[in-house]
Amino acid sequence: MNPAPRKLDLAAWDERHEQLRQAGLREPDYGGSLRRHVIHGQDFRLEQLHFDNSPAALRLWNFLLTENERLAQARAQGDKIVGTMKDLGTVPVMAYALPGLRAFYPDGAWWTPCLMEGSDKLFQQADALGIDASFCPARAMLGAFENQEHFPAPDLLICSTGAVCDDFSAIAQRLEHLGHPILWWEMPRRRRPAAGEPPCALPGNLVAPKMLVDCVQAELQRVREALGELAGRDLDDLLLARGIETANQVRRLLAALRKTVYAAPAAPLPALEMLVAEMLALHFCSDRAESLTVLAGLLAEAQSRLQQNQIIIGPDAVRIFWVNPVADLRAMNLLEDLGGRICGSDFMFSHALDLIPEDLPPLEALARIALADPMVGPTSDRADRIVRECRENQVEAVVISRIPGASHCAREGEMIREVIQQQLAIPAIELEIPPVCDALLPALSSRLQALMEIARARRTE
Amino acid sequence: MICAGIDAGSRSIKAVLFDTSRSQILASGLADQGVEQERLATELFEKLLREAGLERAQISGVVATGYGRNAIRFADATVTEITCHARGVHRLVPEARTVIEVGGQDSKVIMLEAGGRVRDFAMNDRCAAGTGRFLEMVATRLDMNWEELSGLAQQSKKPALISNMCVVFAETEIIGLLAQGRPLGDVVAGVQMAIATRVSALAGRGMSPPVCFTGGVALQPGMARALAEVLACPVQVAPQPQFTGALGAAISASPANQAGSGL
Repeated sequence: MNPAPRKLDLAAWDERHEQLRQAGLREPDYGGSLRRHVIHGQDFRLEQLHFDNSPAALRLWNFLLTENERLAQARAQGDKIVGTMKDLGTVPVMAYALPGLRAFYPDGAWWTPCLMEGSDKLFQQADALGIDASFCPARAMLGAFENQEHFPAPDLLICSTGAVCDDFSAIAQRLEHLGHPILWWEMPRRRRPAAGEPPCALPGNLVAPKMLVDCVQAELQRVREALGELAGRDLDDLLLARGIETANQVRRLLAALRKTVYAAPAAPLPALEMLVAEMLALHFCSDRAESLTVLAGLLAEAQSRLQQNQIIIGPDAVRIFWVNPVADLRAMNLLEDLGGRICGSDFMFSHALDLIPEDLPPLEALARIALADPMVGPTSDRADRIVRECRENQVEAVVISRIPGASHCAREGEMIREVIQQQLAIPAIELEIPPVCDALLPALSSRLQALMEIARARRTE
Repeated sequence: MICAGIDAGSRSIKAVLFDTSRSQILASGLADQGVEQERLATELFEKLLREAGLERAQISGVVATGYGRNAIRFADATVTEITCHARGVHRLVPEARTVIEVGGQDSKVIMLEAGGRVRDFAMNDRCAAGTGRFLEMVATRLDMNWEELSGLAQQSKKPALISNMCVVFAETEIIGLLAQGRPLGDVVAGVQMAIATRVSALAGRGMSPPVCFTGGVALQPGMARALAEVLACPVQVAPQPQFTGALGAAISASPANQAGSGL
């Protein structure tokens, strides 16, 4: 019989893993105890976290924390590695459509200093390369490219620029100057069609001028050709359509998981595992088929727990919508320790959660989804979506987290906050969460606790 | 019913004994903060009990607030400074719609609805600019105590322009101003204006009058004037502003406030 859902620290997970193993737990080749990621990978932050106690969560964490090994194995087997940057969710759909290609986001190295509690020295290496702390923590990837201790050097680097993060473009430009050629593709800023301009519907209830979709499609055509050249095979419409179908399987699973967990009266899975699960939408953690299995396992666990009325966060918890990913994963645990639960999220890549249209020519469908990126359009579009999802899940308060140095839009948090307060009249706060937030934990706790108090006071009055 | 509130702040510990049925403060006191927070808080609490002629068993509940609240283990619950200052000010100045609290280490702007419910808040706790720490730095630099500092500011006819962005930069500016022979009163008044400007930026567009100023820094007469000037609206100093948080904590300890609040 499975024990009741609860959160375990690393030591408790060691015991639990041993019990599961003796009881015949079947694990994939990347399975094992979580402790080994601290010992071998120096992911010290894991010792500060609390994890869900299900085998499905164990599989999720092991899948996440073995990605660099997976990429190295793929390289050894002759696969080509594509480093795709900034577009968050679109180019990987194209790359995985081609057999023998693996795509990942080197930008994801921004999490490494948190996981390794700074022992990786990636920020210091970026400093030495002239990209200092005034830049987004994605600068950590410069160090990772230089020291080759994390991911293998990609065979092809692709980066979107234009109406995406200016900070990131500067970091990627520095990378190119360091001798890593990049295929740049331009992302125009999304706007609403002017009078008389032919419109085009985008996923996420958005609309843009058709000419912008055409522009993105032309840019993605260049990406398509480069990927085909790397794979030694044309990325034709049939392959691309199949790639979209599989990507949509991942997105459907995630949509079902989000609905199951976020809409439930009490949470069957913790916020931290949900954050990691949502990240799988970006590039499938370098294994598309396995990401389907991992997500299906989590969904089954959540559904089973709800059927058995087994929950991990009680119904009294304050229902929170969380905006932006956190640099320090402890923040997710902290929110729950203080009496909150996540009932909605916008981790900056909501377009990667939307289904890619399957009734359109595939490249046009990808152009539409790419243009629906919350980062390339007005903040009001992003705020509208947040408000919509808050209403759907009876959210009581909103947390907008910021990462020091990340400057996609200096006023974006404030603007989202204003829209939330005007349209929903619920409390919303902005928090700054650096990659290792230990010194700020008391201040962070105070703010989150105050938010819970305000939300609870609104229940009673 | 008598409740107690302990405000474990960065500079001092404040405590209040409050009779909830008569809505009356029975005793209040303050002690310097130190490493052994719980011992200091216990001593202060026991001192107030003696002064009020009460036994520990007569206290229905104790709530701790302030940055050191989690260290006060004899408290029955902890509540944040946001909620406590809001409750304390609402008890003392019910018409207040904005609470500005400037403490030794942080500053807060709390927006209230009618009835005292918190509508919104903003905090500055990562930078000494905009907090009492800024004044402490000036007092140390000028080798003065707080009272002397306050008296000097009142003599100023033209406050000096001093950066409100960073205390470290401001210290350099102050050294420069003193080297130029600027009157000390102008320098101190300039620091008060810098703090007020920083706090007003924190308040942003959501602030609405009446404004009530609380926290230890509100005891500096020139600070309320500086805030009023920067905010362009009257600023009322809460009665005994250093005890507002502890009072709010004591109010929070009453069963009526704990019901449904998750405490």
